[in-house]
Formats: sequence, C-alpha cells, structure tokens
Amino acid sequence: MTTGTATALACRDVSVNFGPVAALADVSVNFAEGMIHAVVGQNGAGKTTFARVAAGIVRPDKGGVEIAGREVPVGHVGQARAAGIEIVHQSFALPPSFTVAEAMEFGANGSGSLYTRRDLERRWTRHLESLGVRVKPRERIRDLPVETQQAVEIARALVTDARVLILDEPTAVLSPSGIDNLFERLKVMQANGVTVILILHKIREVLAIADTVTVLRGGKLVEGPTSTAEVDAARLAASIIGSTDDILSETDRDALVGAAEDEGKETEPAHHAGPAILDMRGVSTRPDPEGPALENVALTVGRGEIVGIAGVEGNGQRTLVRALSHLADLTGGTITLSGVEVTHHPLSARRANGLRVIPFERNSEGLSLSSALWENWSARALLRDGVLKLISPARLRRACTAALQVWDVRFNSPNQPAGSLSGGNAQKLILAREVDDEATLIIAAQPTRGLDVGATAFVWRSLREARDRGCGILLISSDLDELFDISDRIVVMLSGRINGEFSHPYHLGEIGAAMTGADR
Amino acid sequence: MIGYLTQVIRAIAFVFIALLLCGVIFEFAGFSAPLMFQSIADGAFLSVRAWENSLRWGLPLFLTALGVVISFRCGFFNIGAQGQFYMGAIAATFVADGLNGAPAVLVMPLTFAAGILGGAVWALWPGLLRVRSGTDEVITTLMGNFIAGLFLVYVTSGPLKDPSGTGQAASSRPIGEAYRIAATSSISPAIIVIAVLVGVGMWVLVNRTSFGVLSSLAGRNPIMVVWQGARLSRLGLAGFVIGGALAGLAGTIEVLGPIGRLSSGMLPTHGFTAILIALVANLSVLATAVVALFFGGLAAAGLYLPVLAGLPAAAIDIINAAIALFITARAWPKRLTGLFGSRQDAG
Repeated sequence: MTTGTATALACRDVSVNFGPVAALADVSVNFAEGMIHAVVGQNGAGKTTFARVAAGIVRPDKGGVEIAGREVPVGHVGQARAAGIEIVHQSFALPPSFTVAEAMEFGANGSGSLYTRRDLERRWTRHLESLGVRVKPRERIRDLPVETQQAVEIARALVTDARVLILDEPTAVLSPSGIDNLFERLKVMQANGVTVILILHKIREVLAIADTVTVLRGGKLVEGPTSTAEVDAARLAASIIGSTDDILSETDRDALVGAAEDEGKETEPAHHAGPAILDMRGVSTRPDPEGPALENVALTVGRGEIVGIAGVEGNGQRTLVRALSHLADLTGGTITLSGVEVTHHPLSARRANGLRVIPFERNSEGLSLSSALWENWSARALLRDGVLKLISPARLRRACTAALQVWDVRFNSPNQPAGSLSGGNAQKLILAREVDDEATLIIAAQPTRGLDVGATAFVWRSLREARDRGCGILLISSDLDELFDISDRIVVMLSGRINGEFSHPYHLGEIGAAMTGADR
Repeated sequence: MIGYLTQVIRAIAFVFIALLLCGVIFEFAGFSAPLMFQSIADGAFLSVRAWENSLRWGLPLFLTALGVVISFRCGFFNIGAQGQFYMGAIAATFVADGLNGAPAVLVMPLTFAAGILGGAVWALWPGLLRVRSGTDEVITTLMGNFIAGLFLVYVTSGPLKDPSGTGQAASSRPIGEAYRIAATSSISPAIIVIAVLVGVGMWVLVNRTSFGVLSSLAGRNPIMVVWQGARLSRLGLAGFVIGGALAGLAGTIEVLGPIGRLSSGMLPTHGFTAILIALVANLSVLATAVVALFFGGLAAAGLYLPVLAGLPAAAIDIINAAIALFITARAWPKRLTGLFGSRQDAG
C-alpha cells in the first residue's frame, strides 16, 4: 500500500535532545502522498517533538526533512510552510481576542497590510464555507466552542495550498461526536489530495481513520508506517506499550491505549456504594474565572466508590473542584461531607473532615516547585496542626524520605526542589501527601495527564486501593477510556450542569451524546 | 547544603567586588583606596572600640532586617521598614516623654510596647490593603515611608518639640536618664541581650515552626498553599505585622539607647540598609546577623573616613549603593521572582 506512490514527507535520522533527554533518536520515516497517517505512542514517546521537527518549529540536533522529495532546511517554520507543510497544535494557537476573519488573515499572511473589516470578512467567508466550517467570521475566537475553534484552525492551515497537514492530538479536546465530525472533514481533505498526519494516542481512533500507523516509543521508531489493514488492536497495544505486562492488567492496558471496545462490556461487578461521603444538593455558583458557573448540581459519592466526571473540557469541571474546595462562590445549595454540612466551611475545615484534593494543575496548584520536597510533602500536616506548632525539620525530612520511598518516588534528597522531579514523580509526591489514612473523599482532577504508562498505572492502582479502604473518590478526567476503566459510576457535565449519570456497562455512544447535549 | 554554601560565598564575593569597584572610583577621584580600606577596617573591626561601634550600628539594623526577612519570606515585598522604624520611635517617645517622672518599671515596658505597636500598626494598614483588596504593597509601604518621615518632622517641631533646642535639627526633649538602656551614645549589654533574644526567637520562628515552612511555601507559591487550605491573608498579615514590629523595636532602641531622643530626620537610610542586609543574607536569619554586623561596621567606619582618609562620610553611602547594585544584579532571590510572577495571576 505504501509502495508505488510518491513520498509526501520524509524524515531522515532525526535526533532531538532536550538537555540530557533524547526526545527523538535517529527516527527515519517516509509518509506516502494522499493518505491519512497516524503517529502513535505513549506520553513522552516523542510524538509532538516529531510533529514540530516536521513543521520546522524544533531544529533537530541531527537529521533532515524532505517534503515532496525536496530537502527543506530544518528548524525554519517559514521555509516549511512555503514547502507546503502546516501544523495544527494541540493547544490552539489562534489569538483568543481576534475575530475569525482576523485570525484567518493573520494566520495566512501574518502581514500588516491595510484592510477593512468588511473586506476580510467577505474574503474568508468563502474559504470557510468551502471547507464546511459553519461560523460567522465576525465572532471572536474565544467565544467559539472548542470543536469550532479547531475547525477554524484547520481552515487556517489550509489557506496556503498545504500538501501536508499535521494535527497534534486533535481528538484530545473533542467529544466522541466531535471526533466523528473531524474524521469526516479529514477524509474530504484526503480526497482533495492533502496528506494528513495525525498524532494520536488511541488505537480505536487510529483504526477508524488512518491508512497507516507509525509507532514511537521512548523517542525511537518502533515500526511504521504500517498499513492499518495489517494490524490489530492487541498487536498495536503491545507495540506502543512494550513489555510492561507485569504492571498492567489487560483492561488497564486497553484503557491506556484506547483499544477498549466501543460498546461497553461487563468488566467487573460494580462496587456497591456505601453511605454517602459527599452529598451535593442544588449547588450553584457564580461564574468562575476558570469556567462556567455550576447550575443546580446534585452529586453524591458513596463510601468505597469511584465516581467519574466526564465532559468536554471547560464544562464546569474546574468550577466543581473549586466549589468543593471552597474556592468558588456558592449562590445556592448545600455540600455535605461525611454527614457534616460544610457549605460555609473553609477548605481547612473540609480537609479536617477528610477532604483531599489532587488539583488540576500539578505544578502551580499542587506543588511549590522551588520549595524542597519535604516542605511540599509536609504542608498538609503542618496546616492541620496549627501554624505556631514547633517542628523538627530533621524529623520531617526523615518522615518525608520514608513516605516518598513507600510511594516509589525517584528522588535524591528531601531537600531537592520539587521542580526537579519528573511529572510522574511529582504526581506521586502529591499522592503521598493527599492519600493518607484519614482521607475520606479524594478529588482527583486529571491525575494522569501527561504521565507515562508506569506512572498512570501507579495512580490508578493508588486510587483503587484508596477506594477499597473505603474512601470515596471523585475522578475528573477528559479521557473516557480512563473513566470507563476505573469508575464505578460516571456522571457527565455539560455547561456547568449534570447531564446524565451512567453505570456499568458504559456505552460510548450514550455518554458521548450526553457530553455534547445531543441526547436532548 | 552545597547550594546554600555557594549562595553565601557568592553574596560575599559580590560584596567584595562592590568594595573593589568603590576603591577604583575613589582612586580615580584622587583619594587613596588603600587608605580607605585601611580606615574602614580600623573603624569597623580592628579594635575593641571599633567593635563597640559596629555593634551599636549593626544591632538595630539586625532587628529591622529580621523584620524584612520575615516579610519577604512570606512573599510580601514590604519596603516600608524605614517608616515603621520611625513610627516605632515616635510612639515610644510619646510614651516615655508623656510619662516622664513615673517609675521606670512602669514606663519602660509601656515604652517598648508602644514602639513595637507603632511599627506594627504602620505595617498593618498596607498589609490589610494588600490581602483585602490586592493593593500593591510596594506602593503603599513606600508611600508610608514618606508619611512617617514627615510625621516625624511634625512631632519633633510640634507636640514633642524640645523648647530648649538650639540645634539645626528639631528634636524631642532628651529621654529621662532612668529610662535609657544605654547611658552613653554607644552599645550596652541591654541592647545586646534584646538583639540576641529576638534573633533567637526569629530563628526559631523561621526554622523550627510550621509558620516558617508554610510562610516560605506561601512566599514561593501562594496558589499551592491556598489549595492546601491555608488562609493566605493571615499568613501574609502576620508577615507584615512582625516586620513592622521589629522595625518599631529598633526605633525604640535607638530612642532609649544611643540617640537618647527623637530627632527630625534621624537615620534616614536605616530601613533601606536593612532591606539590603536581608537581600545580601538571602533571607536567612543566621546570615542576617553576620551581614548586619558587616553593615554596622561600614556605618561605624563612616565616621572615621573623613578623619583618616579625607573622604566624606557619604562615601559609605556610595559603598552601600554599589553593594545594592551588585546584589540586585546577582538576580533576585527566586522567591521574589516567584512573587512577581504570581502577582500577575492574581491581578
């Protein structure tokens, strides 16, 4: 399948080092013209670096890039674009305050020539319509739903006769139906002769859209491009993960690589939830700087139960966590923790009541990166015991060392700054602090984002163990596979409201519909 | 530990570079640099008398600098030590002067309490504005310095004016002999005892209490301690108030001790030198003690320079400024850059 056609993009012996870390090591790969290619791998496998080298954003330490058989100078975005390669980034790069027409003009030319607003709008309406993007050119980027933003970004990338379009994890921000729409759009582009390279990390999506698949692991090319007709999910999963069978059950592995079946299967008997640890009734908040207001949210988490919160990002998940942490202003409703009403209690009182929070932002909300490990680790206990208590730093350092060893954190000294830890180890440090014997409700917000397989499996195991000890766990994740794998119950949020509740067996279609409001 | 030592060595190195630079400047200006260094050494450290002088200037600076250390560690850039120092001195003088004649056992505790309270109150209002409404404490504390300085001019030429005063600078009546903690215009055992006690207390607060760890965490990343359930406003206010109280204490000691009265425009660079000391010491209590003595020595030597090297006493200000330049160029201590980063988030 890959023979006989011309090569759209070729990389030769590309190596990239970030400090002592090799992000890519001698990757050579040829992508044939007119196909949809998938590049897959775990977090940290080098997928994004690969895309950025191809697009001229990252200059490789070694190696070269050819587009349509012609050598392109590496590390030069302008040259790469001129040669016909465009990239759509994982986090969108359009200026939020621009109108759609302005963003298109800026993205297309980046020039400062004179124009009138009406001119711009007329020019770009046609282009957007021809690509089937339904959006008013006058709207501001920040007011658009995520899915439309992405469509505009793709339209922006296609302004200049692009031959090769790279999309970096385009599905991560989309609902299941949004993913379907994206794939339809990509197929139309393929029919028009554009070569598409998709950075993905779910096997299900790879098999649904791609003609070929290329696997990266630890910065090295494992295989590819292999025709997707020749691979199956199990082999691909093994190829992506490598030999880590010892730490992963089969369902966990399938969840990690997005290979689980579309239709849910009975994985394990649902846990029988005990009496409610968390009981939110009719909770509404003011609009929060970090997301929409909660509207009349009712939610319970029982003893020994993992409740997953599903939803497209930005639908009130952050507000929910902030409301539970007394950081968002409630306008109505009550919050009860272990039978005690805490609606008006500060976070310190709620923590005294057993609440623990693993916040969304590991590096700003979870840790003080320039402070020592032992200070970060002991913060919770120090606050619990009162500010004027005498402490022995030496004893705290010893306790911290012991605790971090139990939690399998790789570190040299309790005095090293938290910022020197890798993402997985930093998350384990937070777990070591937040998952203790007195915890009754653990809020885990995106606890595995950006972690590699080992660390992800570790986090899942820790949460399950905490549940088995009787903790209630509220797991917020934008990864449905993760939620399906470890939640006992899934609650879907949409625009700050609860839009459906599901129990085993989960069906992707139903939950996806609830995430986008298509069920109503 | 290695990292800490290199920081200390770097700070010392920068001080020496600054001294060298000043030597070059003075040499080119026609003065003798070796003689200047010789007289600084003589005036600051090479005799018992010189050590007394260094302590006399260094210990009040130490107290004020400790306050700056506490406040900066909490992540608040309280640069109002000068105003808090004045307000402490003014409040102390009001009490000591007003109760003149009453027994010392009554007056002295009240005077100290008033001085400490005066400094604390002058730090409290910028603190409240900061934690309640986010007003930038750099602006408020800096303005507070001017208000306090002008208030000092007013009280020394108004309510507390010494009617028999003939000097150029307006001043209060001398503090009653019974209330003085240093009989001469020099150091006394009482001042040393106070400085040591307060120094030990602050060392314990910073290094051996939860407050020390939590305020340091808050200073480096306030968002993180909020997610831990801390009330940032209380930690921050505590930092402001302790800082002000220590500056007020230093003011009280100057009034009851070496100076012996309140005078208009007294020690106009005290609070700013204290900030410099805190930064050179990299916000460590122990290092602050050493650095404060060094700067006290420079201040003491300032009196010798005109006599021995023919340099104006203001030469010491040039040296201080050069040190400040190098220390700030060394790059801000991390916690302060963190502070300014997080301020944008909060805004």
